[in-house]
Amino acid sequence: MRRFVNSLCASQLRKGMVAAVLGLAALASSAEAEAQEIQLTGPLAGAPAVRGMRLHRAGRIDVALGSTFTLLDEYQRNIIPGLRLTYHPTDWFGVGVWGGFSFRSTTSLTDELQAKAIDARACPADPTTTDNTACKLTAVNLTRGNLAEDQLGRIVWMAAPQITFVPFRGKLALFSAAFIDTDISFFLGPAVIGLQERKPCGKDNNDQTTTPCSGSFELENRIAFAPTVGIGWNFYPTTFLGFGAEYRAMPFAWNSSGFDNAGAGNNEAFPDTAVNYKDRQFRVNSMVTVNISVQLPIKIKTTE
Amino acid sequence: MNQSRVGLLVAAALMAMPLAAAAQPKAAQPAQPAAKGDSKEINLDEGAEGQEAPAGDQTGTEPAGDAPVEETPGGEGEGLGDICKIDPSACPSINMEEAAKRPINAEMYAVQQIYALRYHRVELTPYFGITMNDQFVAHPSPGLSINWYITNVMAIGVNGNFYLGLNSPSNFNFQTSRAARVGVPITEYAWNANANFTYVPAYGKFAGFSDFIFHWDFYVLGGVGAIATRPIAVVDPDNRTFSYKPRLSFHAGGGVRIFFNRWFAVVAELSDYIFFDELENPSIAEGRDANNRPNAQNPSTWLAPETELTNNVQAQVGFSVFLPFSWEYRLPK
Repeated sequence: MRRFVNSLCASQLRKGMVAAVLGLAALASSAEAEAQEIQLTGPLAGAPAVRGMRLHRAGRIDVALGSTFTLLDEYQRNIIPGLRLTYHPTDWFGVGVWGGFSFRSTTSLTDELQAKAIDARACPADPTTTDNTACKLTAVNLTRGNLAEDQLGRIVWMAAPQITFVPFRGKLALFSAAFIDTDISFFLGPAVIGLQERKPCGKDNNDQTTTPCSGSFELENRIAFAPTVGIGWNFYPTTFLGFGAEYRAMPFAWNSSGFDNAGAGNNEAFPDTAVNYKDRQFRVNSMVTVNISVQLPIKIKTTE
Repeated sequence: MNQSRVGLLVAAALMAMPLAAAAQPKAAQPAQPAAKGDSKEINLDEGAEGQEAPAGDQTGTEPAGDAPVEETPGGEGEGLGDICKIDPSACPSINMEEAAKRPINAEMYAVQQIYALRYHRVELTPYFGITMNDQFVAHPSPGLSINWYITNVMAIGVNGNFYLGLNSPSNFNFQTSRAARVGVPITEYAWNANANFTYVPAYGKFAGFSDFIFHWDFYVLGGVGAIATRPIAVVDPDNRTFSYKPRLSFHAGGGVRIFFNRWFAVVAELSDYIFFDELENPSIAEGRDANNRPNAQNPSTWLAPETELTNNVQAQVGFSVFLPFSWEYRLPK
């Protein structure tokens, strides 16, 4: 035994590891002891964590009217009024659908590009008729008209069937005066997105030569599919009315600028004077939704 | 060997800390039976204090002297019945309907006995922040926040971020510049420091899976400080180099803190550092000065004539350690 101890302590590294393991064990054991204090020896031993809990979701349909705002927009901001319908067979699980139509406004980057790279340069439609280097080099990438209307990709609508989990229920004291029921939900599902992107030019999506990009600035419709996942924080000031906020991610690849960024060179990371599927870039597409909800039927159940 | 001792001391300290942090009130001692002659008088008819007890037939509750014990109002136990047997005149009477109508002014809280008191405690929060609103340059930064709680909901403190060497222009910046043949003025940061005022308007608890409970709070903060920034030369990098300069900045934010025990919490915060930033001049001065030096090399021509209001919005995630680790409740709630 002594030899074992000596062997164990022979290395300074091992000493540190032993101390670290002891420390972690102490942390773990003390955390366990705290939980036992309530569950085994306290006056609430055997009692449920929550009594008399109002079941805001169980057996009810949640109708939420809201507006979604996209985050980290590069060229256009999207405001998406929409609706969410969810039926909850239990208080912790629901099945539903969310969707909306988008309204857009340009970012300051788009406005700057329009003013300085398009309007101020006043490049001719045919780049071969000018000696301006910038006009020649941007002939594939910049319209001579309206940037937002001619080439910027846009989200038109989106819809997502989704399942919702509500693992956390709680209550909130606001200013120690107002009290409100609250819960945190997680949702995921497949999403369908209606897009408008710059129409392929130079080479189409099958790599077949088509109209040169310098003469093609128009949008075409595309349907994209993506997973969607998010987290919601909901509040219930009454038994049938609520409000809340959600963060949603909808990762998929699309070409939001209409630029030719890829297609040639190593890893196709250089421009190829064509705009097509190779120029789509992966984005998380983050968005935040605020909503007001109604839970039907109005009557609410309560746990024991 | 010294390392081993230090390690064991650390382990012992870790073991002791959470025990002290539990800070549960001592378990109530079982009530001792009252000694004879030490009995406490209980007035069971408080609502009618100062008034004569109503006659039994008027209330319909006071039994006659020889009434059976079972009819004693409120006679759940045999105690009252025994009193009535021994001395009918001392038999208490309670009008249950009237008693039920008495106003009750019980003071109840949605969250009884706050799990983690903050009053007069120091909060240390190391965190890491990432940029939320700058697509051109990322400004990730480690940071530290120190708060001292004047009351349970108000604190004063300082925080700082260290950006130096971590700024990185994005691929998006490169692609936009290449595609449109434009130079987008960009800046990088070295550090910032702020004095803050924090307010905790909301606290609550969540039941997870209806099985366990955890506590959390929400806070907002505002402050003033300084941030050191400089432009990254994009338009004329051959001639222009910039040095960091501190600028006045304002800080506004809010966050959520989830407590794992009474002194350790995970924190997620959204902070906006607002300041007027100097950007690189998009124009290059032409000509030469009196000494025949190109005007493009004159530092006074390198900056744009106007400053730009900049919001550096950061998402910050870290953990909080509250000191001291334990406390005692002085109030029943």
